[in-house]
Amino acid sequence: MPRLLATQSHVVHGYVGNKAATFPLQCLGWDVDCCNTVQFSNHTGYGMDKVFGTITTQDQLNQLLSGLFQEFSKDYDALLSGYLPNAESVECMGRHYSKFKRDNPNTLWLMDPVMGDEGELYVNEDVIPKYRELALSSDSGVDIITPNQFELEILCGKKINSLSDLQSALSFLHESIPIIIVTSCTPKIFNDDGYIYCVASMRNEQARIFHIPLIDSYFTGVGDLFSALIVDRVFKMLQNESSLPSFEDQINDVINVIQRVLHVTKALSSGDVKGKMGSVKGMKSAELKIIECRDLYDTTPLEKANFYSIINDQTFFHHKLE
Amino acid sequence: MKALLIQSHVVHGYVGNKASSFPLQLRGWDVDALNTVQYSNHPGYGFFSGFQYSEKVLRDTLLKGLIESMDIHYDVVLTGYCPSGEILEEMARIINSKMAHVKWVLDPVLGDNNRLYVSETVVDVYRTLLRDNLVYLTTPNQFEMELLTGTKIRDAPSLHESLRRFHKLYPRVQRIVVTSIDMDTCGGDPRDTNYVVGYWGPDFTVDPSSHTIKKINALFNGSGDLFTALLMDYSVAREMHLGDAVTATATLTSQILSRTCDLTPNRAQATDPDVLVAGPAPVKVQDLKLIQCRDLIVLPAADPPADPVTTTTTTTITT
Repeated sequence: MPRLLATQSHVVHGYVGNKAATFPLQCLGWDVDCCNTVQFSNHTGYGMDKVFGTITTQDQLNQLLSGLFQEFSKDYDALLSGYLPNAESVECMGRHYSKFKRDNPNTLWLMDPVMGDEGELYVNEDVIPKYRELALSSDSGVDIITPNQFELEILCGKKINSLSDLQSALSFLHESIPIIIVTSCTPKIFNDDGYIYCVASMRNEQARIFHIPLIDSYFTGVGDLFSALIVDRVFKMLQNESSLPSFEDQINDVINVIQRVLHVTKALSSGDVKGKMGSVKGMKSAELKIIECRDLYDTTPLEKANFYSIINDQTFFHHKLE
Repeated sequence: MKALLIQSHVVHGYVGNKASSFPLQLRGWDVDALNTVQYSNHPGYGFFSGFQYSEKVLRDTLLKGLIESMDIHYDVVLTGYCPSGEILEEMARIINSKMAHVKWVLDPVLGDNNRLYVSETVVDVYRTLLRDNLVYLTTPNQFEMELLTGTKIRDAPSLHESLRRFHKLYPRVQRIVVTSIDMDTCGGDPRDTNYVVGYWGPDFTVDPSSHTIKKINALFNGSGDLFTALLMDYSVAREMHLGDAVTATATLTSQILSRTCDLTPNRAQATDPDVLVAGPAPVKVQDLKLIQCRDLIVLPAADPPADPVTTTTTTTITT
């Protein structure tokens, strides 16, 4: 069984961070070691006055990661990093992960540079240079990065207003990182509001743009589930253990799984309550139905693409970024 | 079914919440895990790092967060390893006052194989908790049962005596299951290859019972936590009578332990003189192979409801 170390948040209730990533990866055959960077009662979308718990301090994180990498110094086939509460913890994670990667170059590291979304930072400003350092230095060892458009702009230090801006941002990051997946791009650079856009790019290949139909609801934890599935699919592709031939098929497969999970979540959520920030009832219905979806995480063979009745699997319309 | 598990977390391996959560999730439980400690791995490795969560953090997370702000309704609350008696008492106070209608599964984590791994005072805390609170199910191991009842378990009569004594001391506990008892089942034959699960309740007018199962010659970390989680599933979610639930749990646990043993390379021989039994020394297994056993554990999800045809206009999806 492959083994993965995931360093990100833990919430007691609900499915974001490690709670969104761990169970699907376990269902896919991964031994998942979860290093929790915070323990909160629930995620912050419920309103800051409703979140209780504590962050893991830099010293505590350092002790945990030192202990792990000393005791299990060759054991990880993949590393995942997600939400870290401050600059010191980003640096601490980065130092330990980079060292592990130097000693184990075949391990796959996916870094989700969690900083904010849609123009709003949800970490302190001093986190930015730490992520830039990890993303822009070719000896840090990051293999895959999964920023949203806002985070991509922060890493590159440039606004993205057009396809050519996007292309140059990707080229800039590819100098250090082999695989870049931009999880959500603004429709305005594609001139079509009917979709959300995911851009997946491998170094020295043309980027692919996936047009994903909108679902009329608000969900939390989607990005964390996405990163987890990407690690699984890219790892299996590199190990030649996947039934899907190409990188774009892998990404398409992940998007398919996510769409199915969102449809199940929507269908099982009580009533017509749409997820709404700050409302406990609304936010509860935005929690992914991670457990109920336990049969859906595996790769759908292409020839069985219509197996699931809830949503027709599809190859999301995509094209090469010229 | 919705459960709150209050016990330890290890980054690597499968004890405490890591041993309980995944099996329950595979069987459809929505599991909320409140971690009392975060350690790199369990102490059985001989080395570990990490930290304990403070009483205040745990109280606020449970009381102000999950109960008062979120108003979450649980079917079951499970308490396991707590790093101090004070934390245990605080969790118990909250459960008693705010979660009175929730089934409480209490695993009195004190030690194993004749060795305490908490301070002496915690034994008294558990005695008081078990005496004063309505508990749906408790799952001591042999050593813990002996501590809580003051009765050594050597054979069937002393097992029954200890169960009767437990019920007399702690009459508000509705179900008692003593996991993995190493005792004479073959009239003194040293090649005894069985272990016993003793149980009693919720009807205490009938005699206590026990279930005998073939022993695997190995020591496992986390097997007790796994056993309690599965028993909770069979009892609460599958609504089995206690005897049937014990049999089903013992059977499935055995299958998982047996496969774990088969898949464990370079099994270190246990050298602890307290636990050596006649015959070949038991092997020491650090980590349960829960991921490789998921086909044994999983219950398939219900078919999700058909998705209505949607003509969508707007959406927000966070990442």
